Amino acid sequence: MWQQIQQSLVQSIERVITKIVTLLPGIVAFVLALIIFAAISWVFAMAIRRLLIAIRFDERLSQERSSLAEWSPGSTPTVLVVRTVFWCGIIIGVLVGVSAFEAASAEAGISAYIFGYVPRVVGAAILLFAGNIIARFLSRTVLISGVNMNLQYARLLSLGVKWLVLVLTAAMVLDHLAIGGQIVDLAFGILFGGIVLALSLSVGLGSRELVTRSLEREASRPVEVPTEERKIHHF
Amino acid sequence: MAKAEIVEEPQAQAEKIDNADLLIGVAGPANMAEVKAKLDQIRLEMVSSVTRLKIVFACLGAGGLDENVDPRGIPIHLVDLQMPAADPSANPWVIASQSSRALLSLARQVNARVSIVLGSDLLGLDVLTIERLSFPILEKQSDLVMPVYPAARFEGLINSAILAPLNRALYGLRVRYPLPLEFSCSLRMAGLLSQQESAHAASSQQQMLYPATTAAITGSQISQTHLALQHEAQTDGLDLSTVLAQLAGSAFLQMEQLAPHWQRVRGSQPLQSWDPPTVGKENGGPIDVSPMIDSFMLASRNLQEVWGLVLPPVTMLELKHLARLPAAQFRMPDELWVRIIYDFALAHRLRTLSRVHLLGALTPLYLAWVASYAQEVGTMPAMAVEQRLEQLARAYESGKPYLVSRWRWPDRFNP
Repeated sequence: MWQQIQQSLVQSIERVITKIVTLLPGIVAFVLALIIFAAISWVFAMAIRRLLIAIRFDERLSQERSSLAEWSPGSTPTVLVVRTVFWCGIIIGVLVGVSAFEAASAEAGISAYIFGYVPRVVGAAILLFAGNIIARFLSRTVLISGVNMNLQYARLLSLGVKWLVLVLTAAMVLDHLAIGGQIVDLAFGILFGGIVLALSLSVGLGSRELVTRSLEREASRPVEVPTEERKIHHF
Repeated sequence: MAKAEIVEEPQAQAEKIDNADLLIGVAGPANMAEVKAKLDQIRLEMVSSVTRLKIVFACLGAGGLDENVDPRGIPIHLVDLQMPAADPSANPWVIASQSSRALLSLARQVNARVSIVLGSDLLGLDVLTIERLSFPILEKQSDLVMPVYPAARFEGLINSAILAPLNRALYGLRVRYPLPLEFSCSLRMAGLLSQQESAHAASSQQQMLYPATTAAITGSQISQTHLALQHEAQTDGLDLSTVLAQLAGSAFLQMEQLAPHWQRVRGSQPLQSWDPPTVGKENGGPIDVSPMIDSFMLASRNLQEVWGLVLPPVTMLELKHLARLPAAQFRMPDELWVRIIYDFALAHRLRTLSRVHLLGALTPLYLAWVASYAQEVGTMPAMAVEQRLEQLARAYESGKPYLVSRWRWPDRFNP
């Protein structure tokens, strides 16, 4: 009995060790490929950075009134290009590493599965990045415009816009990654439909008189500028 | 039967004119019936003074006018001005700047000794204005003549608060209206302004023309003349935020391009002024500043996060103190306002946040300055108002070392 247990244990240890030994070259190949591609990407990114600085890329772009800097003002266009190049190199390194892992470890199907999923991950990452930037930009635009229009609820409006875009982005990312399946679509549809229905009901029933009064006030408001404004000419 | 008119191509019209003495141009689309009436009057009134001068008049559509209507009048050659297609979203100042550039190119083409650029409202299209703008160039060897419009305490506040004092502190010349509707220049200056245009060809189509700045950095001789013209505000259909963003944005953009020049300049020099000053009409009565203060208060509750990206902690603290003051005591110190403008200019250069947001966030601060200024000068006599603006301009000059330090070392110098 004890011998059988011992034999079973030894065999399972042997199997695990054999598996590790089989996988080890693949893991080493993966890490090595990643390091090599990271180094190549870094060198390539630095070379591009020098080139862009030499041709005064940022100044040219700002002279041409590019909207790129408006959307991501924290980083210069050069930095954005360099980072993009570097991360593209890293992604290629990961793909090469996965391929090397498969070739070295004789584990069939891994790279096919990962390669099939990588475009989704990249797409989702781009969606998340773009969604965040758009949410921040629109939220700030609404806040500043609202304040300049003297809207007391400018911050609330800005937060609403921000979360609306973020929720929309999250739903798109999950859908793109094929996580949650139909549940995300349904939940998002219900959430949006609910918001619209709530607004319709509140305007149509609950706030009918308030809206009427507000519209009447707007309609009867004189179009001309107030007297105080007429006295001041900003230019 | 209607008379058939053959209008020559503008290029051909200009080529036929050689060595003009005076080029008078209208910067922007103008009412042609009014142009015709005013030109007829000028032809008759200018007989005695400038009979021997070869005068060219250029504006959009001028080719369709008759050159000699009254035989008693002096001849004026007409040239249809060619202008680049206007961007529908462009503001009046950009359109005027584009037209001015087209006029200056024409001035080089016809070798005009003096080029006079007039506003498209045609207020300046009269003999007196033309004489005042041409005299310093023809007789006193000036390169550029800038206008001084009648002083009025609540007119042109963006100019008084930002453009004029900022330009004075940066380029060292006390130009009262750096973004003029009327100005005149010599052939040499027209050449310099045209060269500046081609140097920044990519962006110049949207940039406003600051002739005095080019003259200042090229060491040209500038003078000012008082013009009794009161232009109506050109901001119809534009809100304050948009106008402020465009005007302040253009000044900040120019600061960025000319940084090597203005960092060396210290203090400022007065300009030679011609003709007596004129007094503008006053609207009279105190102004209710509470809406402007309310706008600032609302912004100080909501825009702390945005202002915090641009302004250093000391300035933020002072703004908090300002927000706590009762309306009657609401005063924004000049030093605070100057630092705000300098910090916004720096953030514009560094792109600390989107330029659309940056310039939008300046509006409530500007309104706070207007409220403070309006309370201060509401009952002052006109002379005292001028002194008050002079005090503000001196504050800009005193604060320049702060700007230079932050501009050179934005990370190291952040009080």
